[in-house]
Amino acid sequence: MPDILMHKTAVRGVPQVSVSQTSTLVTRTGSWKSIRPEYHDRMAPCNQGCPVGIDIEGYMNLLREGRVEEARDLLLAENPMPSVTGRVCHHPCENACNRRFLDGAVAIHAVERVLGDLADASPAAATGALPRVERVAVVGSGPAGLACAYHLARFGYRVTVFEAALQAGGMLRLGIPEYRLPRPVLDRAIARIVAQGQGVEIRCGARVGSDPTWSELTSTFNAVCVATGAHVSRALDVPGEALRGVQRGLDFLRDVNAGARPSLGRHVVVVGGGNTAMDCARAALRLGAAVTVAYRRTRDEMPAIAEEVEEALREGATLSFLANPVEIVGPAGSVSGVVCERMALGEPDASGRRRPVPTGERFTIAADTVLTAIGESAELDGLPADVTTSASGMRVEALGGTNRVALFAGGDVTDLERTVADALGAGKRAAIGIDRHLRAVANNENEATSADALRFGGGNVSAAQWTGRDPIRRVAPVNEVVGLDDLNLHHFARVPRQDDAHLSTGAAIAAFDEVNTGLTKDQAIAEANRCFNCGVCTQCDVCLIYCPDAAISHVADGEANYDVALDYCKGCGICVAECPRGALTMTRDRA
Amino acid sequence: MKKVMVGNHAVAWGAQRARVEVIAAYPITPQTQIVEKLSEMCADGTLPARYIKVESEHSAMAACIGASATGARTFTASSSHGLVYMHEMLHWAGGGRLPIVMADVNRALGPGWNIWTDQNDSLSQRDTGWVQLYCETNQEVLDTTIQAFRLAEMLDLPVMLMLDGFYLSHTAEAVDIPDQDVVDEFLPPRVSRHKLDVNDPHAFGALVRPDSYMEMRWLQQEAMRQVPRVLETIEADWNRLFGRSYGAVESYRAEDADLLLVTTGTVTSTARYVVDQRRAAGEKIGLVKIKMFRPFPTEQLRMALAGVDKVAVLDRNISPGHGGIFAEELRSALYDLPNEDRPQIYGFVLGLGGRDITPAVIDEVIERTKQGTESEREDLWVGVNS
Repeated sequence: MPDILMHKTAVRGVPQVSVSQTSTLVTRTGSWKSIRPEYHDRMAPCNQGCPVGIDIEGYMNLLREGRVEEARDLLLAENPMPSVTGRVCHHPCENACNRRFLDGAVAIHAVERVLGDLADASPAAATGALPRVERVAVVGSGPAGLACAYHLARFGYRVTVFEAALQAGGMLRLGIPEYRLPRPVLDRAIARIVAQGQGVEIRCGARVGSDPTWSELTSTFNAVCVATGAHVSRALDVPGEALRGVQRGLDFLRDVNAGARPSLGRHVVVVGGGNTAMDCARAALRLGAAVTVAYRRTRDEMPAIAEEVEEALREGATLSFLANPVEIVGPAGSVSGVVCERMALGEPDASGRRRPVPTGERFTIAADTVLTAIGESAELDGLPADVTTSASGMRVEALGGTNRVALFAGGDVTDLERTVADALGAGKRAAIGIDRHLRAVANNENEATSADALRFGGGNVSAAQWTGRDPIRRVAPVNEVVGLDDLNLHHFARVPRQDDAHLSTGAAIAAFDEVNTGLTKDQAIAEANRCFNCGVCTQCDVCLIYCPDAAISHVADGEANYDVALDYCKGCGICVAECPRGALTMTRDRA
Repeated sequence: MKKVMVGNHAVAWGAQRARVEVIAAYPITPQTQIVEKLSEMCADGTLPARYIKVESEHSAMAACIGASATGARTFTASSSHGLVYMHEMLHWAGGGRLPIVMADVNRALGPGWNIWTDQNDSLSQRDTGWVQLYCETNQEVLDTTIQAFRLAEMLDLPVMLMLDGFYLSHTAEAVDIPDQDVVDEFLPPRVSRHKLDVNDPHAFGALVRPDSYMEMRWLQQEAMRQVPRVLETIEADWNRLFGRSYGAVESYRAEDADLLLVTTGTVTSTARYVVDQRRAAGEKIGLVKIKMFRPFPTEQLRMALAGVDKVAVLDRNISPGHGGIFAEELRSALYDLPNEDRPQIYGFVLGLGGRDITPAVIDEVIERTKQGTESEREDLWVGVNS
């Protein structure tokens, strides 16, 4: 105990207050504790949920501080085309965002779009990588192929991309309509990718397998990445599919996206419930048709992005649920209607969705044109003969490796998830796999690093962590994902999520202009201010302010931003309970 | 710079000119405008202070105590039940010798629930170790707010200044806001002798044994004894810089009077008017305004009142079971005067819960005092419909 005595020098006029003469520092209250707080950053659920493997929390934090260019660069460290994903990604990050429990998820896609447009407007930033002599071929210039080329170029490699079509972009250009992804946006994104590192060469009109052949490719390049996509529309397999007026949805989209404006007749029936079906429906609406979407399950089971379904409905499409086409009918060789069987939802199937079961009831939907969009599969016949495939695509390891040395793959051609974001993530994994392989060959060593060491939680790998040039993290976050229970919502005021601006429905269906016009830069910064920064210390000082022992202080250059004076911390845990974002945890004191 | 403003804003401007560093407050009618104005000043940069929002008046004073202990110039405001809720913490501020300044907008206590003015809220904090100053005009409110910091910081005593609810708090008058550079000359930055410092931590308010506790209280009382003299020098300085002064006790047309009214707060202004009328009619009537209640200005009151025949005290307060509080304290202060100098003291209770004290009411007080007999001097109620 300190010697608590009165001020002994008291004379008239000098105030006497009860203050100890000795410093209370002699009382090392920290010796009483058995647990203590520890700072370690944990994983934000958005980062874990992002198939691209973007440090979303990181760039939100930079943007919140007004460090716009650093935020952009952190985003570009992982995502080659944020202007594209900001428009077309199904944003699982937002479904994971903890803010959805308070007042709506952060509009991550819209922030990404603003930063992406900013990135496309400025020249490519240097990555600091030394040029490498090895050359890599990428087959296919869709999101997977471009992502692989982009990251390899940033790692220092010379990359050549072979594209069978006359323009680069793959499914982004062939499949996604302009009202979702204006072509100038895609062109600018590709131009920026081409300008990375020593440069990326894209050879259009070059179908690998014929010119050049696979063996020419593997002998000319040190490594090859296959990213040829999935371009084969699945057949309905019902009578009447050969009638005039029945078309594969992807073929229709390819024509429309190339500028064609085909005549569809009055009634169009789109079969399917995925994004291709929604793209077909909304494109047909813009061509003046009355559109009915026939889907054999209900809205809850639709694989399409929820916003796409909403937009299709708003623009006037009719959704006919529990409708399974069993026959396409028409006199004189032309389609006049689709006969559907009414379905009912039964037990869940392997995908977890309730399986549609037939009821026997039949009805007919009038149709002048039928567009089928029930899924795509990869063209596996043109691949090298000895690669391992499953029914749905090529088999790959965690970093894109195949059964053949120096042959990698990613994107829709593999048997993994088929979204733009997954393709970008797969392309990055393949790029890291190729870099790891080529460095191992060059240094004559084993391919040591595992993909798990680079992951964001259970999510994708980080290129910034792979290159060791992460611009903001001194220490990689612990792979524990922060949930709602780890946050202290009392420190956050309710601020509603900002919605993207949209064209009016009338203006939207009159042409193929972009419907979603996004957020402004200021709105994006305001959204970044809504980010909880789950699991990551933002130096908000709440712990320091709330510590009743004044045992927490700032540190300039440590692993953490604060130091806990363990001689005085009593282990009360107030800092941990008060931390708004779960960046502190209590641990057992070392005995 | 002259501005028309309500009394609450006069308080806020006083705190702003005093360069307050920390404000912790909780709103209560009729005080709320004070802290609203201050929060606006903090928000727009007019006052670069830390404004701490709290969940109660008890916490407000606790936060002020912590802030003041670190050496910060600290301010709060309250009223009625809010002030009463602070009571425990008022003792900690007083005993801790922390020069906090607080504005109390005088408001009656419930029940019955009542938002209008009387003095029972502040007078029931009599023994908490705070200096108490009661103001008459909005100009006096502003001036006293600034002066209070100098008084508080010179003697390490907390100071409470009072203004009548609504009669001052919500009534607009022309008020001169003194220039900042002149105020800075009058009120230097605070220098504190004992500082709570996280880098040199000591235990504050810790155990004090019987062998020392009494000395602490004695020194507190010593500081209180110095207040009249120090306030006089402060007021002289203020008068030199701004040409205004008020005094702990003020006599108005009291020369050769044989009846003096004793007033506090806004009643004084009404009483001045009545005195002027009576003087015009040739009556020897004046008034004595008590501004300072703690420490009680015994010496000044003896000088002001010795030799007068009759004194009528107007108490806008009541100590149930005794009488008007100013009258009782005054009776005690004048008891030791020689018999021939000791006036008859008539204690009137009036204006409770905001009941209006008009010139007619004061006329009634004067008439009853003039006719008064020895047996009817204490606990005289005015205007009660019994």
